[in-house]
Amino acid sequence: MLELIEVWLHRPNFIAFVILFLWGFYIMVTHHNLVKKLIGMYIVQTSVIFFLVAISAKTGATVPILLSGTGPVQAATYTNPLPHVLTLTAIVVQIATLGVSLALVAAIYRKYGTLDEDEILKRLE
Amino acid sequence: MSHHLPALLFLLPFLTAISLPMVGLKHREWCRPMAIAAVSAMSVASIVNVVVIMDSGEIRYAFSGWAPPIGIEWVDDGLASVIMVTLSLLALISLINAGPTSSSALGQRIVPYYTLILLLIAAVTGIVFAGDLFNVFVFLEVAALSGYALVGVAGGKALVSAFRYLILGTLGASLYLLGVGYFYAATGTLNMADLAQRVPELMTSKAIVGGLIFMFLGLGIKMALMPLHGWLPDAYTHAPDAISPFLASLVTKVALIAWIRIMFWVVGAGAEIEHVPVLFLLVELGALAAVVGAFLALTQHEVKRMFAYGGISHIGLILIGVGIGNPTGFAGGVFYLINDAVMQAALFFLAGAAMYQYGVRTIEDLGRLRGQAPWMTGALIIMAMSMVGFPPTGGFFGKWYIILGALEAQNYLAVAAVIISTVLTLAYFIKLFERIFRDTQPSSGIIPVEAPLSMKVSIGVVSAAIILLGLFSDPIVGFLLDTALPSGL
Repeated sequence: MLELIEVWLHRPNFIAFVILFLWGFYIMVTHHNLVKKLIGMYIVQTSVIFFLVAISAKTGATVPILLSGTGPVQAATYTNPLPHVLTLTAIVVQIATLGVSLALVAAIYRKYGTLDEDEILKRLE
Repeated sequence: MSHHLPALLFLLPFLTAISLPMVGLKHREWCRPMAIAAVSAMSVASIVNVVVIMDSGEIRYAFSGWAPPIGIEWVDDGLASVIMVTLSLLALISLINAGPTSSSALGQRIVPYYTLILLLIAAVTGIVFAGDLFNVFVFLEVAALSGYALVGVAGGKALVSAFRYLILGTLGASLYLLGVGYFYAATGTLNMADLAQRVPELMTSKAIVGGLIFMFLGLGIKMALMPLHGWLPDAYTHAPDAISPFLASLVTKVALIAWIRIMFWVVGAGAEIEHVPVLFLLVELGALAAVVGAFLALTQHEVKRMFAYGGISHIGLILIGVGIGNPTGFAGGVFYLINDAVMQAALFFLAGAAMYQYGVRTIEDLGRLRGQAPWMTGALIIMAMSMVGFPPTGGFFGKWYIILGALEAQNYLAVAAVIISTVLTLAYFIKLFERIFRDTQPSSGIIPVEAPLSMKVSIGVVSAAIILLGLFSDPIVGFLLDTALPSGL
């Protein structure tokens, strides 16, 4: 058990990811306010993006642009650009989702005059 | 030229979707013809695609000429081509069905409405062809975002359903992306063909197992697999009547297709987690979904909600079919998937038309159809026969091959689940028909509205398609067995 905790402590990024993910999930599940639910959802998405960045972290490496055309490429000296590109795409998806969800929440508010889920469910009856 | 077909199939609806807002600025009435033209062209192209695949084998399309695994690859094989024909034809019929009733209600918003429908169709194409895990994620999200907006178009209750769909759908997408991240961290690649070489020997790695579970959970939410189906009944019930067929026949099915791709083309059919075969778990989950979904359908009072639960139960049946792990079961499962897409579209067309003509919302209201709508009742009988599984409809042959596969694999639990869900399906359709044929209440004085021709035509076409799928089940299953099987089976 102690060894396991030691292994975990060597990876603070992943601990941060787990905390963020569960925190966001908790907010999504427990809060009744629709905007707070959205905040939870946003944290969940951000935590996954954070995870993608964390797995691509590399010490002592530089931006992935070849400095000279000659000689074999030393992969160890460059960071891997792919996770960052994935991250960018995921952020775009996240923003689009947030836009649609805020539009929906605004429409719900105009229709029902409240953002509380219980209140809305009561009026739906 | 023919090797550009996958890209063409995607670009037809996608480019039309992008150009619609510009054209729609001046000529709002052009939206519908343009959308129908684009999807018709897409349907023709998808049929040509099947012929090309039959002739010359699968097409692997590398975008911009960048060879995979560095570039993005689309795989157009037997499975993808058959599914594509089904989905594009269904999209075309749903688009024809979606017409007149919605244009009067939507007014100004008709332009974004058709744009979103076309984006949904384009994204579905992308998921079917994608040969890359991340591509699947992006297209899942494009499809889901158009889906949320389309559900919300109706306003009122639909807004709340759309919001719930959005929250759960986004959670599903995040879980799927997390799984993709795990796979990438463990293997360093996202290309499915490339992953297929590295993943099987890594099945003991916790990262791969964890990633697989996260991806399954994510796609499970998207395909509304039984315990994760919470968003679906509300969304389908409250969505506009013209939109429900799109969602029911396209969205959940492509998530299932994405999972079949990952399961059979990346992880491999023989994969085991701690000596438990993954396929075994799939069959168990499918059996649960098939039985419980059908049982929940029996307890519903609203017509659309009942059909939505019927769809949930069929997702389970398809999972049983593909999960059995022999060619008969796999082909049966995929054939049932095609049937289910057609049946779901048909049922929601019918629910839409019944609502439009007679104001039918609950099962009690169905009594209004008695003696009034012989054609609609006839179409409902055909659909019910297929849902329950009477010959000569497509549903019968789908279940037949699934049961044959299960018997071959000596998986009697799967056989029992299929039979129980069949009995329950029969029970809920008896509940419907009892209202239509044996109701003793006098029929209410509602004066029916004449349904537009497009509605009648679309119901007729899908009813005929259900019978045709049954009559031509042999060549279709034969084609699936010849070309669409994954290598490990």
